[in-house]
This record gives sequence, C-alpha cells and structure tokens, in this order.
Amino acid sequence: MRSFPFGNAALSLLILSILTGTWLATHAPPRRTATLVFWTFASQHYNAYLKAIPAFEAQHPGVTVQLQLVSNTALASRLQAAMLADVDVPDMVEIEISSAGTFFRGPLKDVGFLDLTERIHKSGLWDGMVRARFAPYTSRGHIFGLPHDVHPVQLAYRRDIFQKEGVDVSKIRTWDDFIRVGRKLTIPNKRYMIELSDSDPSNLEMCLFQRDGGYFDPQGNCIFDNETAVQTMLWYVPLVAGPGKIGNNLGGGQILTKAVEDGYLLCLICPDWRSKSIETDIPRMAGKMALMPLPAVTPGGRRTSTWGGTMLGITKKCRHPDLAWALALYLYLDKPQLAQRFRDTNILPALRSAWDQPSFREPRSYWSGQPLGLLYARLAPHVPFQYTSPFIATAKAKLGEALVACVQYYKEHGSAGFEPFVRAKLKQKADDVRRLIARNPY
Amino acid sequence: MVLNTSDPRPKIPRPAAPKSQRLPLAQRVAPYVFVAPFVITFSLFGAWPLVKSLVLAFYITNGPKSQVFVGWANFRYLLADPDFHKAVWNTAVFAFWSVFLQLPLALGLAILLSRPWLRGREAFRLIFFSPNLLGQVFVGVLFSVLYIPQYGLLNRALHALTSLPVIRTFGQIPLDTKWLSNPALVMPAIVLTSLWMYVGFNMIYFLAALQAVDRDLYEAAIVDGAGPWHQFLAVTLPSIKPVAIFVLVTATIGSFQLFELPYLLLNNTAGPNNAGLTVVMYLYDRGFQIGDLGYASAVGWTLAAAVLLISLAQMKITGAFRGTGE
Repeated sequence: MRSFPFGNAALSLLILSILTGTWLATHAPPRRTATLVFWTFASQHYNAYLKAIPAFEAQHPGVTVQLQLVSNTALASRLQAAMLADVDVPDMVEIEISSAGTFFRGPLKDVGFLDLTERIHKSGLWDGMVRARFAPYTSRGHIFGLPHDVHPVQLAYRRDIFQKEGVDVSKIRTWDDFIRVGRKLTIPNKRYMIELSDSDPSNLEMCLFQRDGGYFDPQGNCIFDNETAVQTMLWYVPLVAGPGKIGNNLGGGQILTKAVEDGYLLCLICPDWRSKSIETDIPRMAGKMALMPLPAVTPGGRRTSTWGGTMLGITKKCRHPDLAWALALYLYLDKPQLAQRFRDTNILPALRSAWDQPSFREPRSYWSGQPLGLLYARLAPHVPFQYTSPFIATAKAKLGEALVACVQYYKEHGSAGFEPFVRAKLKQKADDVRRLIARNPY
Repeated sequence: MVLNTSDPRPKIPRPAAPKSQRLPLAQRVAPYVFVAPFVITFSLFGAWPLVKSLVLAFYITNGPKSQVFVGWANFRYLLADPDFHKAVWNTAVFAFWSVFLQLPLALGLAILLSRPWLRGREAFRLIFFSPNLLGQVFVGVLFSVLYIPQYGLLNRALHALTSLPVIRTFGQIPLDTKWLSNPALVMPAIVLTSLWMYVGFNMIYFLAALQAVDRDLYEAAIVDGAGPWHQFLAVTLPSIKPVAIFVLVTATIGSFQLFELPYLLLNNTAGPNNAGLTVVMYLYDRGFQIGDLGYASAVGWTLAAAVLLISLAQMKITGAFRGTGE
C-alpha cells in the first residue's frame, strides 16, 4: 500500500475496477440455451403459441423453444438492429404486414430471412393457402414469409339502432346503397354512419384494395396515382368532409368504446382480428352488434377487402432451419389448434382446409348469433392482392398526405376543380416515392 | 535553383533536466494510464462513430454490408426533398415558439415566484417544475389522452368555456376538435405540451439568476426614480443576461433535437400531412424505417451544422462573445 505513489483513493479505484472487470469477464451472461428463439408481437398469438409449444417440444425430444412477446414497434426496430449487427437474431419472427416490406430491402443476398419459396411449393401450401396472402411477403419473386391469416373485411354495425331506424341491411349491397342510408342516419356532430378517417390512410387503403388498387404493383412500381386511386380518392373524400359527410373518426381504445356505446359511430370497418378487439373492448354491446359484408363498389362486385396481416419468417441466422420450418407448419397447419385459436382470436387462418372445422360455424352471441367464422370464410377467397416494397412505410405516409390535402381542398372549395386537384396531388406524392425508389442502387 | 530553407537563427541548446529532478518512469506514465480509460472509451464510442458517420454521409447504405459511394448526392437530395423542407419548417416553428413564448413565460413566472410577498411560493415552484420530473414518454401519453376529440378533457373544457354567452359570440370550439389529426392544430398541440413540460424547468434557471441580482442596484434605481418596468429593463435584464443567453441557446438546441414528444403524441407517426415531422424524426425515419444510415448521417451532420450556426448567431446577437463587460 505504502509503495503505491498516487494514494489510497486511486489504489482503491484500481482494485475495484480489476475486481469488477474480472467478475464480469468470468460471469458473462449465459448464452441462449433454447434450440429455437421465436419473437411475436401479438399477445393473442403469444398466448396461443404458449399453449401449443409444449406439445411440439414433446414431439421433438431435446428441443426447446423460447417464445418472446415484443411490442410491434420495438420488434421492427430490434430485429433490424439485430440483423444489421448480426447479434442476437432470433430464429423465427412474426412480423406485421406494414413492417414486412422494409426487411426485404437491399440485394437479395442481404435479406435477413430465408427464402421459403421452395419449401412452400414442395409442401403444397402454395395451393392450400389463400394465394393472395403470399403477395405482401414476396419480393422479387421470392417468398420470405408464411402468411398467418387472411383478414377479410366486413362491416360491424349497431344492429339495435339499425333495427330501430328500420334499416334492412340485406338491401345494402353497394356503397351507393350504404351512403344513401348513411345520409339519413347521420346527424352532424352527434352521430355518424361509419368510422372513417379524414387523415389516416388506413381506411382509404382498404377501399383502394377493394377496387384492386394499392401502393405498388407486383414489380414494386409505385401506383397509388393511377386511375383506380384517383377514382377512390374522389369517392372517399366526400364521405369524410363537406356537407355530405357520413364518416368520422375519433381514435381507438376507450374513446372508440364510448363512441360505439353512445351511438356516435354506427358502423366500423371490421376485419376478423378487429371483431375480437370489439368483443373485448366494447363488451356492453354484446348482442347489439352484427356483421354485414362490405358493400360492393358496383352491383355484384367484391364484398370484402383486407386490413392487416402477419407473416412468419425464418431468419438466415437460424441454426436449425428445418426444425424452425417444422414448428412453423405445426403452428400454422395443425387443424385442431387452428380451430381453438379461432375461438380465442377470431382470426381466420390462411389454410383453407381449416375452415371446415366446427368452431368456424359456431354462432356467436356477441354478434347477435351470427356464425362469425362462416361469414369471414365465405369472403376470404375474394380477398384482394396487395403488394409490398421496402418503401411501403413512405408510400403509406405519402398517401396520407395526399388524403389530408384533398380533404382540405374539398372543405374549402367543394367539388369545383376537385378532380384535377386529386390527380395532381396523388401524382406529386407518388413522384416523391418514385424519387426515393430511384435513389435505391440495389 | 536550390532554396536554402535552413533557419539562419542560432540554435540555443536546451539545458537537460538534472537527473535528480526527473520523475521516475511510473510517475511519468501514470497520468496517461489514468486518462486512458476515458480516451479509449471516448475514441471508441465518441470520436470513431463521429468520423464514421461523416464518411457514411457520402454513401447510400443498406446495413454495414451494402454501401455505395455517392459523393455529395445525399446532401443534394436532402436539400431538394420536400419532406426535409417540411421538417425544417416545423422544427423552426417549434423553436420560434420555444424561444418567444416559453422563455418569456418562464421569466415571468420566475419574477412572480421571486416576490417575497407571495405566499406558498416554494410550493408553486415545485408545482411548476414538477412536469419536468416526468419523462417525455409519460407526458406524450398523458396529453394524447387530453387531446382526444369529443370526450377529451381539453375539448370538454374549451367547449364549455366557449359556450358561455359572452364568449360564444367569438365562436364556439366544437367538441370534436381534432388536435392531433388536424394538420393546422398539430403544432399548437405540440407547443402547448412542451410549454407545460419545460416552462417550469427554464423558470428554475431564471429564479437562480434573479436571486443573484444585487439588491443595492434596485435600491439605487428606486432612488433614481425608476418604476418597476424600468427596474426590469435597467437592472434585472442586464444582471441575468449570462443565464438568459445560456437558457436561450440550450432551449434552441433542445428544440432542434425535438423527437420523442411529437412521435408519441402522434402515435409513432409524423402526424397528418407531416404536420409534426421534425428534423430528428426525419433522420430516424430515413435511417431506421427506410434503412439508409448513410443518408441519415447526412441529415445528422446538416442538423449539427445548422444548430452550430444558429447558436453562434444567437450568441453574437446577444453579445455573449463580449462577456459581461466587467
């Protein structure tokens, strides 16, 4: 001690740092012990898989699966960071449809997911699943994700109020019929026929898909300024702005609960996953709600669209890709499991043959005794294709900007000069996306 | 021709230190050993990333494996990108209100709460400062609930207030006012939230500065016949000038770094029509949503340069370089 020239304080610090450094070096966090690490973002999926995985582990002695629930936003960021740094990349991941495209950017060799195209074709899933659902997870002809769901869209409505107002929903076949009824039932600032946003593009996007439009074509070209998009925008904006407005949007969660309970909103756009959220979040409306197919654009046209989705991908860092594929098939194809999961989540699986299970035909008391699964399954084969791109997030933001601008214009000028404005605005925003794509050297 | 570059001045030999005055090797090396942890850590996690990001700013990237050199193209694209223009405009608007609304309010509160006659001023100081104890995440979530249309507290209060007969004549605020989805209202909502959060924080700086002002100066001013306003202009403001400049510069820099608050208020988006898009949000989007870290680096360096220039300009205008004149 006496021979240390800088005093006891410095010596203490030195000893402390040596001790802690040695301790840290010898007590490194244990390396992962599970055979497969699987991230998912949806608590409904997480709970269902938690029940199912022990049976898979029993079928594969020595195999352990570590399931992790990660919030959707965090999952996308963490996965990206993990893939870029090549550190702690999980073996399998479920990704939400709007984030999926961003993982397919760069040269094909740099995509962090295994190409599942061959496995999907060999196992017959290409024919066994709803084909449209592969499109959002396909890039440059390669399928990187197995679709978890179909997410056909219907309209959820306040059956009690419709009955009181003498509305016969079977007569609502087209959007024109719907708008006609909506104009009668809407009382400005007190009651609106449907939840539609004048700033968020999600509802507009759903309408665009119904008309076979979208953000990108199969080759990844930006197309949301084509004629379909122009006509959709021209049709949509007067529903959320101006004197004929029948749609409004207040927000989600408790505010939506209150708005539906108060009769402020009469109809909600309702993909299968949302029907469960409605059951959970608005329990007091049990028996007062019902579902009807989406009105068609033209008589005899498509009575559905799509909203949301999830893919399951196997990362290139996975050390047991065959085992991961076996787990994916076990979770996505096992019919008794899918039947039970439908009861728990209301989500229609992408595997068509699973829809024959009795649970899909069960009447649901919340939905006024309607057989929920059957209603969604009837619409599922008609779900439109949607194509993705690494620039999907920007495209969505740009469509939102165009929507806001068009709504603003319509509020100020009405229909005078509206069509040229819509065309110009959509083109301007689509050109922004094209310019961004043009920078991409890969 | 050969130039003679040798120094013609005579060289004076340095006297060598006597051996007895030389420090032992251990003592000569010791300072370097002690600063080594900082130097190594800073070099690794501070200086190297800075240099790397400067280099990256000239590449289009897709992760560390795919990089394409593009020269100044990132900066050219940046300057032509309407989204960047929008982000700069929004950030500048926010910075403007931060400086011209937040700081005067903070100073006003500080002056009020430094009055000896005010009862419970310690409690008020705590109350006004306490929003800053909460994180931006909490504040973002809290205000997103307050701003809810139709059922939110703010709309209910404003609607009730503007329904009073006298005020109604000036116009009634509707219950379904969409603070966070109407592009025209997004920035006021962000400014209002940041006011609630930061006025008390800046007030503390001003309070400390006010307490350090020499009381004799006020007495002298009163003897000279100065009223409260003249006392403020002639005594208070010059006395608190160094602190005011500090608060001004840090508030401006903080405004240009705005990210979490609008990001959370607007539900992880830039809001309708990018009304809440800030420069840092733009950087995050391009770097981590689109995945071009090279372009994001270009944005980062442009932002750093802009903040530096603005801060220098502010310090020049406010006379910070001249010192206190003592």
